Amino acid sequence: MAEAASTETPSLSEQYLLKKKDENSDVGSKPLEAKEEVKPETAISEEKAEEAPIAASEEKVEDTTAAVAEESTEINPAAENNSDDASAVETESSETVEQQNSDEQEAADEAPQIKLETAPADFRFPTTNQTRHCFTRYIEYHRCIAAKGEGAPECDKFAKYYRSLCPSEWIERWNEQRENGTFPGPL
Amino acid sequence: MIVLEWLFLTIAPCDAAEPWQLGSQDAATPMMQGIMDLHHDIFFFLILILVFVLRILVRALWHFHYQKNPIPQRIVHGTTIEILRTIFPSIIPMFIAIPSFALLYSMDEVVVDPAITIKAIGHQWYRTYEYSDYNSSDEESLTFDSYTIPEDDLELGQSRLLEVDNRVVVPAKTHLRIIVTSADVPHSWAVPSSGVKCDAVPGRLNQISISVQREGVYYGQCSEICGTNHAFTSIVVEAVSRKDYGSRVSNQLIPQTGEA
Ligand SMILES: [Cu+2]
Repeated sequence: MAEAASTETPSLSEQYLLKKKDENSDVGSKPLEAKEEVKPETAISEEKAEEAPIAASEEKVEDTTAAVAEESTEINPAAENNSDDASAVETESSETVEQQNSDEQEAADEAPQIKLETAPADFRFPTTNQTRHCFTRYIEYHRCIAAKGEGAPECDKFAKYYRSLCPSEWIERWNEQRENGTFPGPL
Repeated sequence: MIVLEWLFLTIAPCDAAEPWQLGSQDAATPMMQGIMDLHHDIFFFLILILVFVLRILVRALWHFHYQKNPIPQRIVHGTTIEILRTIFPSIIPMFIAIPSFALLYSMDEVVVDPAITIKAIGHQWYRTYEYSDYNSSDEESLTFDSYTIPEDDLELGQSRLLEVDNRVVVPAKTHLRIIVTSADVPHSWAVPSSGVKCDAVPGRLNQISISVQREGVYYGQCSEICGTNHAFTSIVVEAVSRKDYGSRVSNQLIPQTGEA
């Protein structure tokens, strides 16, 4: 075992390399990957196991899935009737992989793709301490609003920035202070 | 393999501390890789010095025996050796300091604009994580609390005092900005495999920028005494692919906006 490991041990850079193929790979190879991902994370696999039957029933109504999925949904209630726990769990788990597979496709189709975007690095605040960064962005937004009027589209980016940087607790407190007229910053 | 296990030299396969672990955990970020490389670089000099000093020490003890050689050599002054023993010890710290400072500043510096900001807020004794990049108002935000799973509730395979109920999900191979702060007493946000240890100070926002290079689950613990349950303030970072992160976040965002 040790010999095999030593011959096949990839270099450090290879180990770090993420496989890109999972984005474009065909459906057939997915169940295995999904299964591997699920294994170490019991909490998540539970979630997925819970989701799967729901998804199955949904798909049954929609009647859009492949024959495989339909078969499994038909088998599943029968198995549940015969013996309550063991076989039901088995079919469910095998189903989980298939359903998750189709779930992923659905998610890719339907879910609104979120944009990975946040407040950029600011040369005014190059250090670890970003307290003023958050505060400044908050002030900039409210100054912008004061100058351009409520809901000006130019100010949206500042709002985005300060919401990204400041803890919501702080924002709440500052909003309160502004209402009371006790906000400590220049507005 | 078994011999190695006896010597506690097993290679840690997962990104959590393991019993009797001596070395670092596997690096997940370039930062941690840099830290480990620096450690090895310094150890090179360290061992050189150790061997040299030990040699002098043992030689002195060996030669100046009270019976065999009771009177030591009486050299009071030697210009050459004095120059040498001044210059060499001052060069060695330089060889240690240059890569050390280079690493230090590269860790501090944010070169690339981050793609995500995650706020890690310490509480007594849990953590709150805020993903507010996708907000459109001050109130709505993807926020969750992360509690350490109590020992009695652990499932098979989960690590004691490490596993939490809600993990921080981050995309791999993406520049992350993590804003670390606290709501009550000083805490700390530390994940060894990512090379991050940042104090969470109330009223202050500390920024760390990391880029997790591989998907996985990374464990860390609080590193600043924060009270009785300091030990129960663990951190779990789960790095997933960008696509999975997108679906995870949008799935969590939809029900929230539905309620509001
Ligand atoms: Cu603590």
